[in-house]
Amino acid sequence: FISDCYFHCISLLTLAPVYYVNSNSVAQKIYVEVNNTVPCVRLLNATHQIGCQSSISGDTGVIHVLESEADLEWPLTKGPNPPYMILLESHLFTRSIMMKIKKESSRIAGVTVVVPNTSPSEFSPHTTCPNENTGVYSDTYGPHLAHCNTTVWNPLGNGLSYEEFDFPVFSLKEDKQAEAIKQCYYDHNRVVNGSAPQYPLCAMQLFSHMFAVTDTATCMRRNDVINFSINPEMVCDPLGDFNVWGSIRPYNRSQLGHRDNESVVMAAARLDSRAFFWDVSTGAEGSISGFVTLLAAAHALRDVTQVAPPTHNILFAFFQGEAFDYIGSSRMVYDMQNGKFVIDLDNVHSLLEIGQVGLRNGSDLFLHSDPVSRMNDTVNDQVREHERYRCSLIHRHHSSATGANFSLVEPGVSQPLPPSSLQRFLRAQNIPGIVLADHRAAFNNKYYESYYDNADNLNLRYPPNMTAEEQLEFLTDTAMALTEVATVVARALYKQAGGDGTQVDNIKADSKTVTQMLFGFLVQANNSWFQALIPPELKDMLSLLLLIPPDFYVGVASSSPAKAKPLTRLVQFLLANLTGTATNLTQDQCQKPDDLPDESVQMYSYLWVQGTVPHNGTEKGPFCVRASVRLSQALSPAFDLGEYASRNYSTWTESRWKFIKARIFLVASRDLEMLTLGVGVAVLFSSLLVTYFISTKADVLFSSAREPASAAY
Amino acid sequence: MNLERLPNNEKLSLCRKYYLGGFAFLPFLWLVNVVWFFKEAFLKPAYTEQLQIKTYVKRSGLGLLLWVAVLTTWITIFQHFRAEWGVVADYLSFTIPLGIP
Repeated sequence: FISDCYFHCISLLTLAPVYYVNSNSVAQKIYVEVNNTVPCVRLLNATHQIGCQSSISGDTGVIHVLESEADLEWPLTKGPNPPYMILLESHLFTRSIMMKIKKESSRIAGVTVVVPNTSPSEFSPHTTCPNENTGVYSDTYGPHLAHCNTTVWNPLGNGLSYEEFDFPVFSLKEDKQAEAIKQCYYDHNRVVNGSAPQYPLCAMQLFSHMFAVTDTATCMRRNDVINFSINPEMVCDPLGDFNVWGSIRPYNRSQLGHRDNESVVMAAARLDSRAFFWDVSTGAEGSISGFVTLLAAAHALRDVTQVAPPTHNILFAFFQGEAFDYIGSSRMVYDMQNGKFVIDLDNVHSLLEIGQVGLRNGSDLFLHSDPVSRMNDTVNDQVREHERYRCSLIHRHHSSATGANFSLVEPGVSQPLPPSSLQRFLRAQNIPGIVLADHRAAFNNKYYESYYDNADNLNLRYPPNMTAEEQLEFLTDTAMALTEVATVVARALYKQAGGDGTQVDNIKADSKTVTQMLFGFLVQANNSWFQALIPPELKDMLSLLLLIPPDFYVGVASSSPAKAKPLTRLVQFLLANLTGTATNLTQDQCQKPDDLPDESVQMYSYLWVQGTVPHNGTEKGPFCVRASVRLSQALSPAFDLGEYASRNYSTWTESRWKFIKARIFLVASRDLEMLTLGVGVAVLFSSLLVTYFISTKADVLFSSAREPASAAY
Repeated sequence: MNLERLPNNEKLSLCRKYYLGGFAFLPFLWLVNVVWFFKEAFLKPAYTEQLQIKTYVKRSGLGLLLWVAVLTTWITIFQHFRAEWGVVADYLSFTIPLGIP
C-alpha cells in the first residue's frame, strides 16, 4: 500500500506540469483575449467615488451590440439571457443611454465603447462647470459668480466622467478585433424577429476590480490600517506629480520664503488633462495649446533677457493635476504661503496664465480677469495697484499684438475668470492676473477633457505620405497660429517685467520649435528632436512609456523627482533646453558641477542631454545644459496635512487594482453547464466508491499476488 | 495517540486537562474534548472513571455552545455594521476586504 501511494504521488507530481500545460492550451482554445482596451477606473475624493469597477472575478455577459437607444429594451427588459454585455458605438455613448443602463445594472454585466478613428461633432464627459468648488468664487467671494452662475464654461459637458458605475466600462479601439467581436455577435447572438437566439452565445468578460471604496478618507485610512495585517495591500494613491518651473534669472534654492526687494512676473500654464477612460487623455486644446505656447514664449525670451535683462524676474510655471481641483497650483500657493518655495506670494508681481489658445479660428484672443478684485473699491492700494496693473497689462498686450493678425479683447466686466490656476492664487492673495484664452465665454473646445481633444481638434494636419521625420519639420498652420500667440505672450511678459522697450521687436517665437513640440506632444513623442533634448538614460522612457498619442492624465503621485511622469520630465528638459545655455562641461563635471569655481547646483540645474547623433561631424553629440529649471512637488496639501475630507484642497485618489483584462468566448446554456458539472461530480463519487470497495476487499482481491498487509499498518 | 490503549485513569486525567485547558479562552480544546471523549463518555460500557469523564465532556460541550453563540452573535453584528462603523470597524479588522465598503 505504501508503495502504491508512493507511485501515485510520483505520478501525480510528474503529471502536474503536463496537466498545467494542457489546461493552458485549453484556456487558449476557449478564450480570445481582447487587446487595445482601456478601462474606466475608480477615483475617489473627499465625499464620493466615481468611475467603474467589475466584481473580483470579472463580469461576464452575453454580448449585445446596441444599434440605437430604442434597442436598449432587449438587454434591459426583454432579453432572456441576462446579464448582457453592451457593445456600443461611441455616438451612442451618451448620458441618457448610460444612465438608463446604470438604473438597470442588475441585468448588465458591463459596457464596451468602440472608439472610432474619427471624432463625433461634439463630446465632453466633463462637468459643465469644471473645478466648481475649488476655484476662487464661493459664497464669500463673488457669490453671484460662483457655480458658473453667469457663464457656463463647458455647456457640452455631460458629466459622465463624474458618475459612479457599478459595472465595468471599457473602450475598444475600432480595429480588426472589434470587427471580430461584432461578427461573433452577428453569428451567435443576433435577435431575429424578437425570438431568443440559440446557445452557444458569444460572451465577453471584463476584469477591472478596484480595491478602494467609498471616499479618500476611507481608502487612505485603510492604506495605513493594513500595515498591521498579514497581507499588506495598498488600496489607493493620491493623484499628483511634479510642477515644472523655471526663471530667467536663477534663484538660490537653499534660500526659501520671502525675498526682499524682489518682484516676479509669473507666467503659467497647465500640463494635464483627463478623459473618461483611464490613460488616453490627449488634451490638445485643453492643455497642450497653452503650455506649448508658454514654452515657445520662454524660448523667445532667452536671448533678449541675456542682452537686456528686464527689471523684474520672470518665472514660468507649468502646473500638473489642474484637472483634479487644481493640484499643482494649490500646492505651489501652499508652498509659497509656508516658506517652502523660492519666493512667496508677496514677491509675485503679477500672473499671466495661458489657457486654451489653439482654437482662435482667426478671431480675437480674450483677456480674462477677475471682476471681484477689480470692482472691490472698499479695499486698499493693492487693489488700485491691481487696477492700474490691469490697465497697463491690457495696454501692453494691445501694443504687443500690433503686427499680429489678431487683437486682444476684454470679454466684459461682469464675467468671472474661467477655470484657471490663477483662481488658486486669488484665493490666497489679491494678485493682479490675466488669463489669456481663445473663448469669450463658453469654451471653443467641443471636446473638453475627452479623448477626442486630439490633434484633429487643433486642425493639425500633415500632407499625406510624409515620414515622421518630415512631419516633425513640417510647418503647420496650427503651429504658425500658436507661434503668433507665443510672440505676443513673450513681448507682453518682457514689457511687464520692465524690459527695454527698444528690444521688444526683436522678440519672436520660433515657429519651427512650436511645430516640433506640437508633433511631439500630439502625434509621436518618440522622435529625433525630443531624443536630442533628453539624457541618454531616459531614452527608453520615450519609447517605452509614452503612448501614441501621448497621455496627459496626471496619474498617481511619486515621492522622488526622478520618478516623475515621463511627460513632466519631458517638459522639464524642453524648458531647460529652450531657456538654458549649453556649456562645455564634461559628463562628470555635469554630474558634479559644485567642484568647479563658477558653477553651483544651488543656483542651476545641470542636465546632461544626448544632443543629435553625430554622423557627419556638424551635429552635436551629448552636452551639458545649465538652466534654472526645477521640479516642485504637485501633491495636494490635503495629503501632507492629513485632511482627507478637505474642502479647500484637492483630495483625489486613484484606486489600485490587480489586473485589467478583457476576453471573449462562447458560453453554453445553463442547462448544459449544470449537466456537465453533474456528470463530473457523479464520476468523482462513483470512483471514490469503487476505490473504497477495492480497498476493503483488498486482501481477497490481491491475496495471491502480495504479502499480507503489515501489522504496523 | 490511540485512546483505546490508554488505561482508564489516564483517560480521565487527559479529559480533565483538556477541560481545564479550555478555560484559557481555548474553545477548540473543548471541541476536541467533546469529539474525542464522546464515545468514552456515553457509548462505552460503564467503568469507574466514566462518570467524571461524562461531566467533563458535558461541561466542555456547554462551554463550547456558549462560545459558539457568543462568536456567532458578534460576527453577525460586526459583519452587518462593519461598513457603518467606519473608522472603528477598520481598526478592529485584521484584513479588510478589497473593493467593498
